[in-house]
Amino acid sequence: MKWILEEWRLLLPLALGWLAVWRMLPRDKSRSRILGGIAGVIALVMLQGLLPAPTGPLIQSGVYFACAALAVVSGVLMISDRDPINAALWFALATLAVCGIFMLNSAPFLAAATVVVYAGAIVVTFLFVIMLAQQAGAAGYDRRAAQPLLATVFGFVLLAGLMLVLRDWKALKTADGEAAPAIVQFLPTPEGIDANPLSRPVNGDLGTLQGVGRSLFGDYLYAVELAGTILLIATIGAIALAPRRAQGTL
Amino acid sequence: MTSSLESNLVLGAILFVLGAIGFLTRRNLILIMLSAELMLHGVSINLLAFGQYHGNSQGQSFTVFVLTIAACEAGLGLSLILGMYRRKKSLDVNLWTNLGEPDLPRLADDTYPPAPAALEEPLPHLAVAGRMPAYPTTPRSTLPTKP
Repeated sequence: MKWILEEWRLLLPLALGWLAVWRMLPRDKSRSRILGGIAGVIALVMLQGLLPAPTGPLIQSGVYFACAALAVVSGVLMISDRDPINAALWFALATLAVCGIFMLNSAPFLAAATVVVYAGAIVVTFLFVIMLAQQAGAAGYDRRAAQPLLATVFGFVLLAGLMLVLRDWKALKTADGEAAPAIVQFLPTPEGIDANPLSRPVNGDLGTLQGVGRSLFGDYLYAVELAGTILLIATIGAIALAPRRAQGTL
Repeated sequence: MTSSLESNLVLGAILFVLGAIGFLTRRNLILIMLSAELMLHGVSINLLAFGQYHGNSQGQSFTVFVLTIAACEAGLGLSLILGMYRRKKSLDVNLWTNLGEPDLPRLADDTYPPAPAALEEPLPHLAVAGRMPAYPTTPRSTLPTKP
């Protein structure tokens, strides 16, 4: 009990988030989406207050937090929407928001690649399959979640564990609300070991096509070959697994 | 540096947990796979944040591999799901509880659900816009069959 009172700054937004996700999951009776939405927004605002204050230009921090909130909200709506087509479109929106985060993490090439691969290929394929397999609106199994209480409790206990580990690294604000101290070195770079020399940015080309390409085809050349082999095998497997039609039918 | 490492780690953790909850609660096979992709997004944000924190391109290289595996997984999974849909005419994951050979003991009863096709529920025909009608709560046997 004392521990809960000490950690209320961390536990209250988690509990509100759990309430939001649990109330918004599909169920037979009417869902209380308004209650869930209000609880979720309060949880997000409290969580933002827990993070360290942004440094640097204000506009970039604003864009960052807008993208992060958009990603989380679309994720919640994706797992709680009854219509699978709407869920796939929410996933596309979450992907776009995550690409904004990639951009702010100085990875413009990966942001473009993720938009092309996910929003351009994967989501479209998912939509095709949903429309092929399920034409008559939301089916019964989309209207009832399987074990919503157990799953949400599990998920938020996992999230609380991750947050507590971050807090113990002094990365989040403590119970007294004091600002986070200087950043703790998570994984110190070992001295005297030069494992991946080609991954270091030269002339500040971190995240550009040149930098990523030098890292990929220099340090990780064998892994690139393996990934290409896996893609080939997956292609062959998908062709072999795909259901065949009888000759002459459409 | 505009986006701090901590914010990125918290965001990645939240996306991962949301994907895990979706993976556990959704019963549509396609949405289960989409939730797995949401978990991969959280992992990618983690990798990129640490890459930027250490100031090298390793996180971005790892994320390229995550993209590759996600594409493979989507292709293979969708072809499997299409094959499974052809067998049972439904996307419900609970229909695949028993995967053993016919002579092995059953772990769950095979009678779930009595009728395989949830598509034949006689929902009222409404315009595309508007609220979704309430799910019919009467037992399936008493519903009028489709002509």
